[in-house]
Amino acid sequence: MYKVAESLPVSLPTPGVARPSASQAGPCPTSSPLLAIYGCATMRQMVDLATAQRVCWDLSIVLRALLLCLVLWRRNVRSFPFFSIYLSANLLYALLLYVAYSVWGSLSVVSFWIAWGSQPVISCARALAVAEICRLFLAGYRGIWSLAWRLLVSCATFVLLYSFLASKHQWDFAILGANRALELAIAAVIVVLLVFLRYYQVVAEPTLRTLAIGFCLFSCFAVLNYTILEHWLKKYAGIWNFVEVISYLFCVLAWTWALRKPFPRPAVDPALLPGSVYRQLSPEINLRLRLLDERLSDFWRAEAPRS
Amino acid sequence: MSFTFILFVSIVVALLILLAWALRNPAQRKALKIEPASLEQPGPRHSTYLPLIRQALSPTDLEFLATRGSPGLARRARKERQRVTLSYLDELRNDFQRLLRLARVVASLSPEVGAAQEFERLRLSFRFSCRCQMVRVGLYSGLLVLPQLGGLSQMVSELAVRMEAAMQELGERAVLAAKLASSPDQRGVDIT
Repeated sequence: MYKVAESLPVSLPTPGVARPSASQAGPCPTSSPLLAIYGCATMRQMVDLATAQRVCWDLSIVLRALLLCLVLWRRNVRSFPFFSIYLSANLLYALLLYVAYSVWGSLSVVSFWIAWGSQPVISCARALAVAEICRLFLAGYRGIWSLAWRLLVSCATFVLLYSFLASKHQWDFAILGANRALELAIAAVIVVLLVFLRYYQVVAEPTLRTLAIGFCLFSCFAVLNYTILEHWLKKYAGIWNFVEVISYLFCVLAWTWALRKPFPRPAVDPALLPGSVYRQLSPEINLRLRLLDERLSDFWRAEAPRS
Repeated sequence: MSFTFILFVSIVVALLILLAWALRNPAQRKALKIEPASLEQPGPRHSTYLPLIRQALSPTDLEFLATRGSPGLARRARKERQRVTLSYLDELRNDFQRLLRLARVVASLSPEVGAAQEFERLRLSFRFSCRCQMVRVGLYSGLLVLPQLGGLSQMVSELAVRMEAAMQELGERAVLAAKLASSPDQRGVDIT
């Protein structure tokens, strides 16, 4: 699954691994945000939260496995190849972490690097899955898709750059900043796409819409989560991962609901008009609009002095 | 609170508001609701009532009322006419929006779309909406004389007539698009 969130060792009590007590853990380290998250997870007051998180984490792994099975069983893998790859990679990632925690412990450096080092792969799979959903929304509408993908790529690039620039320029926060930038880009792309669909009055297929909403809401939530973590590191480090696990759980539930049935491939693509119609009509409409706009402007200016 | 914190939280809130707006049920957009069959007759509707509105807004009527009737009656008549004019302005804008929507349907059903054309139309329609609001404010504040709305109506009518000629060619395909929009798998362009 996608992130550290659902798999980070943070407050995840690993079966068979002796977890240090609060006294052993000592004060929460703050030299690095990631290490701080790591250390705070072992505090005694977080034990209940850790248990709840472990239950949710286990549940999310089971749900992810079920969702993947559902995708395969309903043969939706043909419609959503990248989404299926993302789900598989995510599940594999979670299982790998589970094994890593069992073997090396949740506080080992190896587990740490597995948890954070796999992020680029998962993030790429996630971005491809979102791109695939965007493409499916406008399947059959060649004209506006050619416009939409340029718009979405520009939007994603802008948001990524802006997020990097606006983040703290510290090496310690680089991974968090990168994750947040990606999440914000995903949320922005999906929102822009849905606005685009609404503008062109393209009816969104319900399955795709639910998948997109799941991605978008989770990404929005993740951005907020990272931002709060960055701001209140000490206070928030103990629960941020739990909050993210919960949000991802709901996201997986929404996807499962959306994919409970086979994805309906359209029986027939929309009948497209000849290209000449657009070429003839569009400049004409724009010219009229421009004239109308100018006329409105003129007549306002002409009437204003009457007061 | 740091600038970064406020910035990212604001962006997320804005995205969530936009998401809710984009997902709003099209059935709630009653103001622009039209029947698919009316695509076959995309010409002006409310703008054709312009002569009647002009007659109703004639200043001579108000002068006559002021001289022969009471000032209160003339004031009441002016208010009534202002209300009618605002309503007429709304309907004109609906006519305009309807034509714009047809243009979007044409764009969405075209194999090639010019980015410049689309952005230009978006910009112009935004500006038109702003100016319409200004006219509305002008009417309320008395800065605009009511009969001058004829200029706006004239332009909408011209656009509608030209569109009608072009859209006649598209009639059959538009109906086909309407059928697709109401197809069981719910794919297609929403033209309602």
